[in-house]
Amino acid sequence: MLDTLVLISRVLGLALIVLGGIASLIGAIGFHRFKNFYLRLHPLTITTIWGCVYPLIGVTLLTITLSELGVYRWFIAGASFITALIVLFLAPAGSHAIARGVHKSKTARVQPCLADLLDSELCG
Amino acid sequence: MKRAIELLVIISLILGVSLLLTFASELLVPSKDIRLLALFYLFTAFNPRIEYYTVSSPEVVTAIVWDYRGLDTLFETSVFYLALIAGLALARKLYTETYSGEVVSGGLSTIVKTVTRITAPMIIVVGASIGLHGHLTPGGGFQGGATIAVAPMIFIVVYSTMFLLSKGVSSSRMLLLRSIGLLGIGFTGIAGFLIGLAVNKYAYVFQNLPKPGAEIGLPAYIGNVLISGTLWFFNFFEMLAVAAGFTIAFTVLLLARREG
Repeated sequence: MLDTLVLISRVLGLALIVLGGIASLIGAIGFHRFKNFYLRLHPLTITTIWGCVYPLIGVTLLTITLSELGVYRWFIAGASFITALIVLFLAPAGSHAIARGVHKSKTARVQPCLADLLDSELCG
Repeated sequence: MKRAIELLVIISLILGVSLLLTFASELLVPSKDIRLLALFYLFTAFNPRIEYYTVSSPEVVTAIVWDYRGLDTLFETSVFYLALIAGLALARKLYTETYSGEVVSGGLSTIVKTVTRITAPMIIVVGASIGLHGHLTPGGGFQGGATIAVAPMIFIVVYSTMFLLSKGVSSSRMLLLRSIGLLGIGFTGIAGFLIGLAVNKYAYVFQNLPKPGAEIGLPAYIGNVLISGTLWFFNFFEMLAVAAGFTIAFTVLLLARREG
């Protein structure tokens, strides 16, 4: 029973780390390919949430099963989990603050634009 | 043609730097005697077997900074203090720092304010742990204080300087805290000497643990907790001083507006 749990935890941890690598690659490609500033914020948040929070949770799941690390595995697991939580708080707030600041100061235009209900001058 | 020349210049620069690095690593290797110095520090920093020659601090960098070369660090702290005083004196007519009692509004949106309120206590806790565990883990007073000073910084950016003033974080209070920190560092420096005067025995200025010929010193353990003699007190007071100092600097820099 315990062996099965350990196996599940390890496979899930490794899968989340690999997922983080793939998501970072997708985010990097999107960061180059998207057309305007507000769209580019979207892959930016993909790299922080999918590419940082999920791998850190994966590291937590992986290290708590590695008894070779001794007591230190709890330090690594705890620190990874707390870091994941903090990034989960901070990344959306940061990208929200950037988008709001840029839109309010009219620094970047929305191009190509279907509708901008906040400020129609910035459209197009 | 221009692009080709640019490419040629870049390639030749890279190749030249790599060539330089190759030869430098051949020529500029320090002599093997210098490794004995590192071995000496690693051997003596935490070693209960040589009771009179150890600092009892597992963190060698803090041991070197506050014990082996403690006077240097004291003067560094004084220089930072004097620089701050000079900065305040230079900007003394350029800012007014009276909180007029007006209701503070504005700042960034509610989302950012909420996240700031959640994370600012965490930042202070992490800074305190870096500073107070400075004799056990990498870090120390300066690093811990600089981390704590991030909390008032993000409060200034997300709320406003007026918000910080309305909560009572004014530069005169921070200067008081900073002076307490510096006085604490000074008193910790001569603590062994003062105890030696009181019990009429020899002791050095800036003495940490007992040394041969000077049996007076601060204890390495209080109860079962390792404090490494003076190192814990130095880190604590340095943390106070640096946190308050950076807070003053941020407040004065970002309060740049003239009344009227």
